Amino acid sequence: MALEVLLVEDSKTQAAQIKETLESVGLRVRIAYDGPDGIREAIENPPALVVLDVKLPTMDGFQVCRRLKRNPTTQDIPVIMLTEKAGPKATMSGLRAGADDYIPKDIFASEHLISTLQELGILE
Amino acid sequence: MTLPSGPYKMRPPIMSVKVEDSMDIMIVRDTARRAAGLLGFTPAHRAQLSSAAATLAELVLKTGEAHTIHLNGVVNGAKIGLQISSETPWLAGVSANNVLVALRSKLGELVDEIMLKGSEPPTIVVVMWLNDARTRELLTDDDE
Repeated sequence: MALEVLLVEDSKTQAAQIKETLESVGLRVRIAYDGPDGIREAIENPPALVVLDVKLPTMDGFQVCRRLKRNPTTQDIPVIMLTEKAGPKATMSGLRAGADDYIPKDIFASEHLISTLQELGILE
Repeated sequence: MTLPSGPYKMRPPIMSVKVEDSMDIMIVRDTARRAAGLLGFTPAHRAQLSSAAATLAELVLKTGEAHTIHLNGVVNGAKIGLQISSETPWLAGVSANNVLVALRSKLGELVDEIMLKGSEPPTIVVVMWLNDARTRELLTDDDE
């Protein structure tokens, strides 16, 4: 059975693009459109991986990542942050929040995402 | 295109990216990520190094001059790391201390070492060293 990814992304257009990338490598994708929903989904039905946008309504991706990494149910789930904020401070904030990778949403994003999935053992 | 230089012995990978406009920043970021991956850095540390390389490229691009960012492996005794460097003729005559203070405020959190080498022209050199926490297992032919 395919592994499941929880994608937390408020933009429906971007969510559809990322979902397509993840499904193209055989993963199942569940989408949450804001931080609190993402946390709830991750706790109630822990996925193999969380892909998290930084800019979210209500609670930003850094806060979501910190909460997931503090909760015993979700702390071992790898988190990849996808972001338009790719400067040094934002990168370090993402990594300090516990993210396993911090990927800018640029033309290489899909390729980097798949390469990180392989590194994390989500893909063979 | 210039050649990489720095205080440490070089080792592969050795990559260079000519930066002429903001599109090239993305290529620098991608190249740094690939170079760091080839040396065995974890995805998180690859993200850190790619951010350092892109920040350096952006800083130099702001001077309005095309330049080359070099990314190469370095060795110091038993240590292996990734060096990112760029020649900066526009820094000639500027106090090295002032430059280092500015660079540390931008890049200090991302890398282990920040240096300004030579004077004709000066070269900005930053390095991150591999250690156990920063290393992923590299697959060898024997593992496959």
